Amino acid sequence: MKMNRKLTWMLLAAMTTAFVQCKDSGDEVKPDDENELITSVTLKFTEQGTSNVSTFSYKDADGDGGNAPTKFDTISLKPNTTYTLAIELLDESKSPVDDITKEVEEESDEHLFVYTPSPAALLTYTYGDKDKNNYPIGLTGSAKTGAAGNGTLKVQLRHQPGAKNGTPTPGSDDVNLDFILKVK
Amino acid sequence: MPSARFSLLFFLLSLLWQTTVAQKPACECFVKGVVKDRHTGQPIIGATVLIVGQNNGVFTDTQGRYELRNLCPGNYTLECRIIGYNPFQQKIDLTAGHEENFNLLEQEVHLKDVEITAHRTDAPSSQPLTTISGADLDKTRGQTLGESLKGVTGVTTLQTGSSIAKPVIHGLHSNRVLIMNNGIRQEGQQWGSEHAPEIDPFIATRISVVKGAAGVRYGSDAIGGVILVEPEELPVDKPITGELNAVGFSNGRQGVLSGTVQGGLNFVKGFGWRAQGTIKRGGNIRTPNYFLDNTGISENNFSLAAGYRHKGLGIDVFYSRFDTQIGIFSGSHIGSVTDLLNVIKNGEPFVKSGFSYAINRPNQNATHELLKAETHYHFNDGNRLQWTIARQYNNRNEFDLHRPRNDSIAALNHPELTFKLTSLTNDVVWDHKPIAGKISGQVGVSTLYQYNLMSGRPLIPNFNQFNAGLFWIERYVTSKWELEAGLRYDYRMLKTYRIVNREKIADHFDFGNFSGTAGATRNFSERFSARANVGTAWRAPNVSELFSDGVHHGAAAYEKGDATLQPEKALNSIASVKYAAPKWSVEVGGYYNYIFDFIYLKPQPEPILTIRGAFPYFKYTQTDASFKGIDVSGSWEFMKRTTISSKLTYLRVYDERNDGYLVMIPPNRLDNALKYQLADRGKWKDGFISIGNMLVAEQKRVPANSDFLPPPKAYSLWSLQAGATLKVSDKQQVEIGINVQNLFNTVYRDYLNRFRYYADDMGRNASLRLKWKFGA
Repeated sequence: MKMNRKLTWMLLAAMTTAFVQCKDSGDEVKPDDENELITSVTLKFTEQGTSNVSTFSYKDADGDGGNAPTKFDTISLKPNTTYTLAIELLDESKSPVDDITKEVEEESDEHLFVYTPSPAALLTYTYGDKDKNNYPIGLTGSAKTGAAGNGTLKVQLRHQPGAKNGTPTPGSDDVNLDFILKVK
Repeated sequence: MPSARFSLLFFLLSLLWQTTVAQKPACECFVKGVVKDRHTGQPIIGATVLIVGQNNGVFTDTQGRYELRNLCPGNYTLECRIIGYNPFQQKIDLTAGHEENFNLLEQEVHLKDVEITAHRTDAPSSQPLTTISGADLDKTRGQTLGESLKGVTGVTTLQTGSSIAKPVIHGLHSNRVLIMNNGIRQEGQQWGSEHAPEIDPFIATRISVVKGAAGVRYGSDAIGGVILVEPEELPVDKPITGELNAVGFSNGRQGVLSGTVQGGLNFVKGFGWRAQGTIKRGGNIRTPNYFLDNTGISENNFSLAAGYRHKGLGIDVFYSRFDTQIGIFSGSHIGSVTDLLNVIKNGEPFVKSGFSYAINRPNQNATHELLKAETHYHFNDGNRLQWTIARQYNNRNEFDLHRPRNDSIAALNHPELTFKLTSLTNDVVWDHKPIAGKISGQVGVSTLYQYNLMSGRPLIPNFNQFNAGLFWIERYVTSKWELEAGLRYDYRMLKTYRIVNREKIADHFDFGNFSGTAGATRNFSERFSARANVGTAWRAPNVSELFSDGVHHGAAAYEKGDATLQPEKALNSIASVKYAAPKWSVEVGGYYNYIFDFIYLKPQPEPILTIRGAFPYFKYTQTDASFKGIDVSGSWEFMKRTTISSKLTYLRVYDERNDGYLVMIPPNRLDNALKYQLADRGKWKDGFISIGNMLVAEQKRVPANSDFLPPPKAYSLWSLQAGATLKVSDKQQVEIGINVQNLFNTVYRDYLNRFRYYADDMGRNASLRLKWKFGA
């Protein structure tokens, strides 16, 4: 019986020591600074031959979820006009704000912007840049509007590491936005 | 053979309880002692000690002890016997008390079955328990834990491609299925449907499935069932033995090598040890028509165990390390709903590939370490105290397909997701001495402390969790009846920490609940038995259900958690009857599992807008769900050496609150096999050839408009198996097995494979398995 009691005490003492190495995960919570997001997309239309610039943006500063997007502009353009179209991508969840456009440019052989108007007659896009493999990128280009009408402009950033072949098919979407497009 | 084994086991167990003997008032003499194996010195459990010529005998207990009381003075002949040993007789002249110890010598033909009688499982006896061991377990060697269990009625798998498989019991999986790895609750990131259990099945010599809610013995979360992964008892004071397993699979050109060496120590009595290790390498999986890019696997596991036994004391120490690197099919990475719809429209992946062993992004690396120390003491009066502590460390790293665009960050090659989960568990169980020889019971306390450190893309928060549980189970056993009842209370405290808009937010949750179980087993005859059990279990919402907020890229869905979720509670009724005749056997079981506040992802009417376009929006919501099902299994030796066996798994799930169906419920299936047992020839034994067919129905009970693709059509797969054992010598044998899965290279997709949107399931897979056992 003496043995029993000794053993029981031993167990109890050991039990209490088992929690000595407890740790608090709250001390180690830190913001994520390595994963890049794209939180805003800005389309800059410059009417050719003029300095008239119209910009249209999508903004969701805290990324997916959390707060809803703060800005999703309607693109409004003149009919039968040629514009120079530049695109800018930012990660505004970081401080300082991270310029993703520059990073896309550096890795242009893995990226392709695709601009798809619907109906197709609303706008014709022509790529204005090429990567080292002579495939288009789409950071700059020209957009020629057709007759007046309403529709959408789908803006996609295709991420195609090791698979870029000039078509949108390979890879996956990093950006996929349907802007409302009004030509009037 | 298993049925004979079980009836023997039951016979011995039932007799163990009937130790009370007819009494003669004037006779006060007794004889007692211990029965041991002469060679190993180990106590022999369940041996018969009887007085020749009298109707008086007892069985030895778990320490090999026996006692015959109330004998009149005189001359007696005692006989001690047990299958596998030579019977031993001893004449005694009894005047008062007498101690007579027996040392039995093993017979040349040692029936190993006897060893099994000593095994004890804590699982509730009135709940269906299916165990895979021996030759059946050998046939699954080389596969993952989830796949090994596929053969059990009522068990299916939730898969992510072919290399990640999670067991599904009666339609429930992930956090609702508890896995006990060598007696310890497996604690990984179970909430993730693509997080397979980090366990090397080669550790186990028995894998058991307890179907139905088993919350009382195992604690919260065991709503669907429990999987017990159990290694063999340590070979205390036994000679060195071992085995080497080699398995090669044609699909993925996968090779698995696993070895075990074990034994005692010559110079330390009471000591036993075991070392075990497994290496696995596999490359790209091939569907009938194309390879799946980046679906290789690499695994390195090992475990070490040592134990000491002295009289009633036992101490065991166990360490295991599981380390896997799994390539995730690169064609499953999608950025937007458009991407997903394009793959579905294309009918096959855009990404084409040949064969390669290379594992590139996307991939997941997971390591799991378990360090466990267990000590138990059998008191002389029959009480037993067991104390187990364990520390688990689960480190999971997930790499996305795309590296960061920023070169300096990309150069670090950090995983986009890292989870580090440390769990400390502590269990004290007291088995009280049998009351009146018929009522046995357990009282136990379990605690768990856990902390999760998360870095990378915010997915789940950091958390600290503390659990405490207290349970009490009593069991009444007679030869005809086995009744049991138990109660448990669990408390869980959860503290979470996350960053929202660059600020730390802490949340605190408290959950507490009772669980209960009551059940009965009735043995009408040696062949016919019935059992019924009503049990409850509960599960607190996990961190992903509370705090998810983002796009689930594999599923092209926006998933949002809800911090106000309440625990789910399950009330599970389960009943089964079993009839086992020499030539045929059948087992029919039915269950009705009603889950209150069942947590699921409910589709929301409005999609949610992200930079990658609009995603269908799902919110974690609670409802009441019923899971009704039938498991039937039977076998019939209709001709000499020829057996046909069938298994049916039928399940219906209904959302009771919303009058609808739920998603991701395994379809019904029927398994048939025809087996021909070959005659032993010379040194070749246990040869067989079998052909099998599995029919999986189409899941038609799905909520309308809840998925991008309707559930796949029904499919039928054929398989072929053959095997034999070559007895090289008394101490060595080689087992050979051949297995061809998906014999006709059938193109199919499975509803519970998360890659069904992107690609077909695995094509034909032939495997060759060799097992060399030595020293046995």
